[in-house]
Amino acid sequence: MREIEQSWVGGSRPRFDTAGRVRGMIAHVGDQAVGAAAHVAVHRATQPHARIEAVHVDEALAMPGVYGVVTGADLYKQLGDRLLTGPAFADQPALAHEKVRYVGEPVAAVLAADLATARAATDAIWVDYEDLPPVYDLADALAGTAYVHDELRPSSVFGDLKHLRGVRDTNVNYTYNLRTGDAEAARDAGAHTVTGEFWAPPTHHVPIELPCTIAWVDSGRLEMLTTTQTPSYVRQTIADLLDLPLSRVRVTTRPLGGSFGAKMYDRLEPLAAALAWTAGRRVRVTATREEAFLLTTRHGAAVSSSLTADAEGNLVSSVADVRYDTGAYADVGPRITAKSGMVAPGPYRIANARVLSRCVYTNKPSAGPFRGFGVPQVTWSHESLIDELAHELGEDPYAFRRRHLLREGDEAPMGTRMHSADFVGCLDAVANAIGWFDPLDRGTGRIRRGRGVAVGVKAVLTPTIANAVLQLNQDNSATLLISTVDMGQGSDTIMAQIAADVLRMDSRRIHVVRADTDATPYDTITAGSRSTYHTGNAVRRVAEAMRDKLIGLAAERFGVPAEEVSLTPDGPRAGSHEVTVAELVHGHFGARGATLTTEANYTSSWTPYDKETGRSDKVTEHWFAGAVGARIAVDTATGRVRIEHLAVAGDVGRAINPTLVEQQLSGAAIMGIGHALFDQLVLDQGQLINGTLLDYQLPSIRDLPDQLTPIVVESPHDDGPFGAKGVGETGILGVAPAIANAVRDAVGVRLTRLPLTPESITMALEENQ
Amino acid sequence: MRVTIEVNGERRTADDVWPGESLLYVLRERLGLPGAKNACEQGECGSCTVYLDDTPVCACLVAAGQAEGRSVRTVEGLAGGDGLDPVQEAFVATGAVQCGFCTPGLIVAAHELVHRDPGATDAEIREALAGNLCRCTGYEKILDAVRLAAAKKAGERA
Repeated sequence: MREIEQSWVGGSRPRFDTAGRVRGMIAHVGDQAVGAAAHVAVHRATQPHARIEAVHVDEALAMPGVYGVVTGADLYKQLGDRLLTGPAFADQPALAHEKVRYVGEPVAAVLAADLATARAATDAIWVDYEDLPPVYDLADALAGTAYVHDELRPSSVFGDLKHLRGVRDTNVNYTYNLRTGDAEAARDAGAHTVTGEFWAPPTHHVPIELPCTIAWVDSGRLEMLTTTQTPSYVRQTIADLLDLPLSRVRVTTRPLGGSFGAKMYDRLEPLAAALAWTAGRRVRVTATREEAFLLTTRHGAAVSSSLTADAEGNLVSSVADVRYDTGAYADVGPRITAKSGMVAPGPYRIANARVLSRCVYTNKPSAGPFRGFGVPQVTWSHESLIDELAHELGEDPYAFRRRHLLREGDEAPMGTRMHSADFVGCLDAVANAIGWFDPLDRGTGRIRRGRGVAVGVKAVLTPTIANAVLQLNQDNSATLLISTVDMGQGSDTIMAQIAADVLRMDSRRIHVVRADTDATPYDTITAGSRSTYHTGNAVRRVAEAMRDKLIGLAAERFGVPAEEVSLTPDGPRAGSHEVTVAELVHGHFGARGATLTTEANYTSSWTPYDKETGRSDKVTEHWFAGAVGARIAVDTATGRVRIEHLAVAGDVGRAINPTLVEQQLSGAAIMGIGHALFDQLVLDQGQLINGTLLDYQLPSIRDLPDQLTPIVVESPHDDGPFGAKGVGETGILGVAPAIANAVRDAVGVRLTRLPLTPESITMALEENQ
Repeated sequence: MRVTIEVNGERRTADDVWPGESLLYVLRERLGLPGAKNACEQGECGSCTVYLDDTPVCACLVAAGQAEGRSVRTVEGLAGGDGLDPVQEAFVATGAVQCGFCTPGLIVAAHELVHRDPGATDAEIREALAGNLCRCTGYEKILDAVRLAAAKKAGERA
């Protein structure tokens, strides 16, 4: 492949500025020199649920170097109910106002000359509380032993939540129902039913970069530099919070040091904006690692479910009761509850399905989006059930799944058809990779081997909006303005590849501008694996508009019809006519350094699901299909699982950059291994007890399987840019159940609670004897 | 207090250092070297790995005063000028870099291993890098990078 072609779609060109990254020269938000700023540290709640009677700040205020101390009451005086923000419910104050709802909630902020002083001053603040009964878990929350919020407060972001305004005496902030056929009757009439009580614990994203926000006031505008995946959303939130027109709010980003859902919606930004605005100072708010654990989490989820086959082994019924623990603030939990609840039956042909999916408040740190958006928790349930059903029927778990998997054009239980979602191809690929069809050395003595597979399905975030502006410079380089945030997934690289392929230019000559709401156009969010498809389509269109513009100029110059002109890496051509882009643009403007500009939009649409049945003929723009295969060895004496081979396949439509796709699949795989084997946030009476990197286990290089095989499956999407879809979440969906299914195969025990700790495995082995 | 450290071959001085201040804070906030990252302040993630004399350390766990009069080498000082050290080149060549936030610490740790033991086995590489957390890559390509850099180093010595 010629070097320039390597920089187009399908080429594995290195990501943008790798050299800068290995030299430590990429400036992340926290690396920016900010000049004279007030450093902010936060005093946090010690009670899970309490009324704030008084906040004592005098001692802190008297400390040398302390500029000020701000409480929730102070902010409420200036901002009123606008202090409460959130993507689904406007329920979360930047600083607790009247009540605290989880241990660690921000209560007061210290502004000081340096961080050490600010932190020291937070210890000099104390609070008088009147304790309220706390709600620690899903059971108490659903029983209504106490209420975390007096009433529900839907935000203005999602119109379909309006009917929940003012609802009282409940901890359930959202309910999604799926009713297809009559699942209960089909279950009762079926020949074989397996059931389970599944639990996936809360976990944390732990991007290595900590959240950081710097905010200041300039010319009556609130400006900020922040670690966010959602600059367009944050701009709107801050405008609402401070009651400013959007034109007086500026949100800028730098490349993020990982995120996985941790740095989106309302994190440090409302606090930083409120402090900068009310104090009239530049402020720098950084989260320590301990604080980052409290900012957002992955939902712990309980799933009570069943799967039924008839006498011929056909799947006839799926029933699931899904409860997402969203903590003290809803964040985007209601969206997760619906979008993940609807795929709780799995990617299978099942005529009857019933899902009840609920989003539940508790007095714990808030849960929000995390790679997979709630789907790994239901995949844990459906991939364990179908595996167990295969065992019960005496069928091969791979072949049993394969027989029932949804094919192109099939309607999923929630009513939407499948397109460009090659479940069978993914499953076949991982089964082949781990040697499913070869004899297995099952081990002797205390070491026992087994194999497992799992399949996952997830909808892309829909509807969403993407915009792109392209400036082609006179020297045939280009500047691409989009608000997609590169956080390690490589969007800056692949967006340039898409535009360059259309324009037949070298993608390394395209600079992608970092999100800056003063300059880059609106983009819903960088999340939900939506950017390659949505923003990628906007970029394809903006490049096509530029191509048409160039061809028009060339046709005029050559004196030929536009249809006869084509773009080549050396410039426009028509028969014997030729010109370079540089000459063409220079000739058009008569100036060096001039630019041609185009803009484009791509917006996806959906049919909202029916309130009663949860069904929709187009609930999503497209589907992600993934599969995982695991070959493992269990040490039956210690309960330790050794992963000998993990294969992860994802249907990406078309790989814009195959190396970057493999990186996403491998990265998701190792994150999934953590969720399978040890990752979990441990809370005791609402107190997070392992919220440090000393105590919270994450996969290290020692947890890398003996062999890890990422597999790119390409089933092109008709409307994707060059057939492409996203890949960020696909790899993680089935990792935990594939490993658990392999444990089942190896030692005959079915575990339903994650993580699969050595203790849980040895205890299950003991019970099994 | 005043601290004087040789950083990447240059004698550097930082004033008004408070007693509890870490070497990491001095490097990042006082000496303008943000390559070593601050991600846990507990010595658990390895993002702030630098050489102190010839030993890789978590700069967040070293008190600034402990570095007085000693030599520190950060990721910014591994290669001369605009070039790349062979370990950095290997990370680029194998696709071992994604968001890049853990990368500087990993590169210093890998650099130390490759120079100490270019014949390191996979198990030894895993052991040497076990203190450097990465959330993006899945580690596989990092292993490839270290193998590549080690092979090159071993070739030089042969």
